[in-house]
Amino acid sequence: MDRMLTIHVFRYNPQDPDSTPHMQSYYIDETESMTLFIVLNRIREEQDPSLQFDFCCRAGICGQCAMVINGRPNLACKTKTKDLPSQITLLPLPFFKLIGDLSVDTGTWFREMNTRVESWIHTQKEFDPAAEEERMDNDTAEKIYELDRCVECGCCLAACGTARMREDFLGAAALNRIARFVLDPRDQRQEKDFFEIIGNDQGIFGCMGLLGCEDVCPKNLPLQDQLGYLRRKMGIYALKNLRSTKKTC
Amino acid sequence: MWNDTTMYVQSPAKTSAVLDWLEVLSGAGLVLFILGHSLFVASVLFGAATFDGLAGFFESTGLAQVGGPLIGSVFLLHFILAARKIPFRTEQQKTLWAHARLMRHEDTWLWLVQAITGMLILFMGSIHMWIILNDLPITATKSVALAHSGLWLWFYLVFLFCVAMHVASGIYRAGVKWGYIRRDNRAKAKKALYILAGALVFLDLVSLIRFYFLSV
Repeated sequence: MDRMLTIHVFRYNPQDPDSTPHMQSYYIDETESMTLFIVLNRIREEQDPSLQFDFCCRAGICGQCAMVINGRPNLACKTKTKDLPSQITLLPLPFFKLIGDLSVDTGTWFREMNTRVESWIHTQKEFDPAAEEERMDNDTAEKIYELDRCVECGCCLAACGTARMREDFLGAAALNRIARFVLDPRDQRQEKDFFEIIGNDQGIFGCMGLLGCEDVCPKNLPLQDQLGYLRRKMGIYALKNLRSTKKTC
Repeated sequence: MWNDTTMYVQSPAKTSAVLDWLEVLSGAGLVLFILGHSLFVASVLFGAATFDGLAGFFESTGLAQVGGPLIGSVFLLHFILAARKIPFRTEQQKTLWAHARLMRHEDTWLWLVQAITGMLILFMGSIHMWIILNDLPITATKSVALAHSGLWLWFYLVFLFCVAMHVASGIYRAGVKWGYIRRDNRAKAKKALYILAGALVFLDLVSLIRFYFLSV
């Protein structure tokens, strides 16, 4: 652990008219079990208090510290310096609005996405607060949980060639969210309802299959399998219902 | 998605789905054609007479005269359908290029190879079809002469490489997009992709070399 790390950080404050986008280098001695989260905090505490970056949990749960690390989107708190060369380049996630330096606004996008895919259980059943919660079989619960592990870090969108070209593309995060509700027996939406949300070029048929999302997801979500499953499901639905185009509200 | 609105109009239209089906089905049809075409051209390995015999069969049954323009139309249709995803605006091209360079991600580069070879195939394939179909009947003698004239040998060397890469990456991409290539078999599928591309290049290359050295 006697390496001296050189950290090249993108600096730009859109709020400051005098600020221009540039790279700034910091030098820091590597310590044992050092993560980029530790590196950035040390830089901010010891060298440059103006450095902007987001973090909250430092345990890969909040998804706030996502950034582009040597070309690949990942979480700073999950990335150990020992797995990287001594020259490390950090960029803010593309695709999202830049707040400053390494900090981006993923919240606005995810709020819009959750609205657009109607990210909640749709049911006609009246909620009875006194009733015992309905049981779900364990396999289904585990499959839903597997997809629910998404921390909304935005790495999948930053790594997606389609999303980079077309801002209206829903991306793997949204499609994975839909896949989660398709699995949920409590959600009374039918294939038709899901098709109306994602059965277009902004949704599943816009995906070009570049698999950037699959390869960078810090939570290792099975995004490739979900995208393939949804495309086939929606494609078959479309073929079976070619002649029914009447919209039901 | 950047509009700060909470109103989204959902659509039951099946257009995107139908176009996506047409894209993959036209691609699958063209893959079969290319494989058949490579096997037909490779018949020269058994001699000029075998090649001429097969070519004669295609012409006597009208397959060359009718099938040629038909295949050309399917090529054009496939291009138009695939072009829905290809970045044509300079801004998009720059973004995707920068993205690929930054990510250094094999599948992103592979998609770029697929898109670029697709464009080249449309251009070079049109020239190839024009040359061949305007000079029927197809014979080994004419093919030998073509291989020896001007830059045609180099033209076909580039063309066969483009076709092999586009076919292999297209099959892989369709498998990924439609869920047949999954996380658990992706590594094997990727290996199969390169083996298929290599085999196609090898077969076409051997046929081309045979034409070049064939004495008729």
